[in-house]
Amino acid sequence: MITDLADDELLITRTFDAPAALLFQLWSRPEHMKRWMGPASFTCPAAEIDFRPGGAYRGMIQSAEHGENWFGGVYREIVPDRKIVFTFAWDNDGPSAGHQMLVTITFEERHGRTVQTFHQKSFLTIQSRDGHVSGWTSAFDKLAAYAATLAEEQ
Amino acid sequence: MPTPDALSATLSALADPTGRAILARLAEGEATVNELAQPFAISLPAVSRHLKVLEGAGLISRGREAQWRPCRLEADALRDVDDWLGRYRRFWSGSFDKMDAYIAELKRKEKRR
Repeated sequence: MITDLADDELLITRTFDAPAALLFQLWSRPEHMKRWMGPASFTCPAAEIDFRPGGAYRGMIQSAEHGENWFGGVYREIVPDRKIVFTFAWDNDGPSAGHQMLVTITFEERHGRTVQTFHQKSFLTIQSRDGHVSGWTSAFDKLAAYAATLAEEQ
Repeated sequence: MPTPDALSATLSALADPTGRAILARLAEGEATVNELAQPFAISLPAVSRHLKVLEGAGLISRGREAQWRPCRLEADALRDVDDWLGRYRRFWSGSFDKMDAYIAELKRKEKRR
């Protein structure tokens, strides 16, 4: 359990009126993700998911005011109905450009309801702590290759 | 609004545990390099290197006098990190609101079957 949050970490805990298996599907299937990703004024018209460890995902949310915002990352760990770990980054050129985040989501079901714990940490912190630079770089190379393939198909 | 590079420098500096500890100490008030080095098992030059990184990231500023150069916390850089994190919080919280509504919709469809 996370007790001390650093300045660059985010923790959001929510209880949903649904079993863990359904929440797991909402995160792992593009047809579901398109229905909820993004804040109120946004739609999510694009989502591609290669749901396996090392697999990439990519999506886009848009609004009249903010236009298209592409995002993507790579799945690091998947435990069915329990846990999903993935990297997350925006493609845009704003202040968040190029910042890799590591997101960990866990699901804990109780009497048909599920507590979803969302934790986001800046990748810079993780990189400096673990020094797993080469491993991450190759994952990002794969992501870039995947994104290029997607662009060709469109 | 910070540039991507400025934010990167701030986040990198924050990623270091010693850097964080120095910032925590400076949150209590100004301090000299000697005072900052005391709680750490590292040399003065090592502390100076940490201070240089923090200063480069805009997280601290240092006095002008050569001998007595007190370090102080600069709140603006930390506020930028806070604003940046706030945008993520709004993004995800807003998404989870929609997730809640979508679950309700899925349940209504399930019942009709």
